[in-house]
Amino acid sequence: MTHIQTSASGPALKSDPAAAEWNGPGRKNRAAPQPRGHRENLTGYLFMSPWIAGFLFLIAGPMVFSLYLAFTDYNLFDAPRWVGLQNFTDMFADPRWRQSVKVTSWYVLIGTPIKLAAALAVAMLLAQKRWGQSFYRAAFYAPSLIGASVSAAIVWRALFSDGAVVDRGQQLFGIDAGGWIGDPEMIIYALVGLTVWQFGAPMVIFLAGLKQVPKELYEAAEMDGAGSWRRFWSITLPMISPVLFFNVLLETIHSFQIFASAYIVSNGTCGPGDATLVYTCYLYDQGFANSRMGFASAMAWLLLVAVGLVTAVLFWSQKRWVHYEEDGR
Amino acid sequence: MSRNEGMDRRQLLRLAGLSAAGVGLTAAGCGSGGGSNGAVTIRHAWWGADDRAKKVQECVRLFEKKHPKIKVKTDFQQYADFWKKFNTQAAGGNPPDVIQNAVTFLRKYEAKNVLLDLNPQAKKGNLQLDGFRSGLEKFAEIDGKLLGVPVGSNSMALVIDEKVYEKAGIDHSLGWTWDDWYAGLRKIKSVSHMAGDSGPHGIMYLYDLILRQNGKAFFTKDGMGFGEAELLPYWTESLARVKAGIYADQKKVEQIKPASALAKGISAGEFTWDNFSVRYSAEGKSSYGLAPIPSTDGKKTGQYLGSLMLSGTARTKHPAEVATFISFMTHDPAVARIMGYDRGVPATTAQFEAFQPADAPSKAIGAYETEIADAGVLEPITPHPAGADVVEAAFLRIGSDMSLGKSSPQDSVKQFFSEAKTALASN
Repeated sequence: MTHIQTSASGPALKSDPAAAEWNGPGRKNRAAPQPRGHRENLTGYLFMSPWIAGFLFLIAGPMVFSLYLAFTDYNLFDAPRWVGLQNFTDMFADPRWRQSVKVTSWYVLIGTPIKLAAALAVAMLLAQKRWGQSFYRAAFYAPSLIGASVSAAIVWRALFSDGAVVDRGQQLFGIDAGGWIGDPEMIIYALVGLTVWQFGAPMVIFLAGLKQVPKELYEAAEMDGAGSWRRFWSITLPMISPVLFFNVLLETIHSFQIFASAYIVSNGTCGPGDATLVYTCYLYDQGFANSRMGFASAMAWLLLVAVGLVTAVLFWSQKRWVHYEEDGR
Repeated sequence: MSRNEGMDRRQLLRLAGLSAAGVGLTAAGCGSGGGSNGAVTIRHAWWGADDRAKKVQECVRLFEKKHPKIKVKTDFQQYADFWKKFNTQAAGGNPPDVIQNAVTFLRKYEAKNVLLDLNPQAKKGNLQLDGFRSGLEKFAEIDGKLLGVPVGSNSMALVIDEKVYEKAGIDHSLGWTWDDWYAGLRKIKSVSHMAGDSGPHGIMYLYDLILRQNGKAFFTKDGMGFGEAELLPYWTESLARVKAGIYADQKKVEQIKPASALAKGISAGEFTWDNFSVRYSAEGKSSYGLAPIPSTDGKKTGQYLGSLMLSGTARTKHPAEVATFISFMTHDPAVARIMGYDRGVPATTAQFEAFQPADAPSKAIGAYETEIADAGVLEPITPHPAGADVVEAAFLRIGSDMSLGKSSPQDSVKQFFSEAKTALASN
């Protein structure tokens, strides 16, 4: 087509290194670089336009609007009223907000390490060559596929309710405690159990990391008389530390945003006794049940800042414990 | 063929045109209202369990048969989820045309111009307003606007396990006092070694009656009708009764939810709306009956007829069809035969007479409402300000937390009034 021919010797040729590297599919080693034309760019943008429109209207736009709402009193119906930092000061004075921070922090600090430990332990088992290995891998990964769905949380609720399987199991051992779901002290453990049960995704990533550890290292360590525990601490963990870092980062961010499982397991109450009042649950309740959308927006932005800070701390800390082969650390 | 398999201008335009057409078609598909055969579609949403959903859908099918030009799309959720969804839909300008409604939400949505004034439709003859039972004629009128039509009436009652009450020899006839009731609970504790009540401290509508018996009310038109001085002794006493085992073990009450403590045999009584008593017979193994609300002086119970109602929404494009549907649901005898007492005792005489209950719980509800109406204890309902729904939820939650020992009655009372103040200010 004509535009290709005209652009082949265009002025962009020398000044566009990206264009110099890419020569179209199957033409990697072709010496003569071809620049991208104006229309080619347009085609690209046209194909990207659904995403760009989605990003602008469904993500960026609402985010900017919610930042504005965070400084207003907005009940969904009347026009937003500017209140400055009032929502933020109200938040810190609100005992339920403090409870939501407490529950979420607990969930992140307890749930995430247990989930990652479970994922790593199972990944190490599955990394060994055994009969039926593929079946086990699929079986352990399956819960995380359905785990994100609402149905898994409903099943969890049914399992841990009064008189259900777990309760009856307890009774076999003479513990007549009733269901975990209605118990303010136990329901959070049911929630952590649900999250740990969905360890499939980090497990697959660990599995990929474990495959990359050179076998010679283990052989040399064995020759030196290192036991399995020693090999784990001195070889496995340092060698998979980049993968571990990636999983810690992803799962921590994910844990901060827990909503569906807490909401469904508690039957939409985030209780009993606010025991499962995770941050997003309180945010949702304030926004949609109590019609305090300004307050809910302020909460959302604070969560974003908190997750950003935690991510920054994790990135900062990786210098001390993550080992990348390339730079010899 | 070009090397990069790019597009020429014509192809680009064609792609853009197709995309635009696609968006247009999608947008057209989202619209509702007029059908190709001249039929009008309205949306009806309500809250309730599956059983109610089946009954309403049966009524809708009957309505569509009688009014072939009107189609009704249905939608239902659990109570709390229903209002969250409705809030969002109403704020987005796309609420269902007809909703099930309650007095707690009237002023809230009236203040935000969400509800349809049905008076003009009544004048046009699309909505029949005569034939309502006594006390239900002017149910949802605010500032001269008719914002809802009652579908059924109910009143607060004490549902009791008849076997336990009989064994303890408790006389629970109309005119009994709170002292009589409490003495009864102590008897139950000593005779049957069980709690006499599930714990009434979080039930806003019961506490409203207690306040009304003492010349106050839970709400005024603009705010709260009582203060910390009234609530603190009530909750302090409640906590003491939980600890003494007179009220049920609250941890157990939470654990068995959504089943009721009464039906599960954890307590011998529970204050609730009289039409809820049907569910106890379905859930529990004993026989359940209705006892009157105790009073302070043996006379004034503070009771009123509460009601579920149907409201139209102001954004509807089909107010006439909305009114026709509401009229059908409230007056057609066939609807009463399908719904029974699911939403309370039918509000119109035609429907009341059309449904003759055969089951014992429904018979008991009918007899109970007749008894309190004949006794002349019924009064007008007190107004609920905008935000009352949030206050009610806070009362239930904080009362429950307090009874679980999560916070002291003093802190709970403070927390409740703080949340109520915020709710009333922001709604």
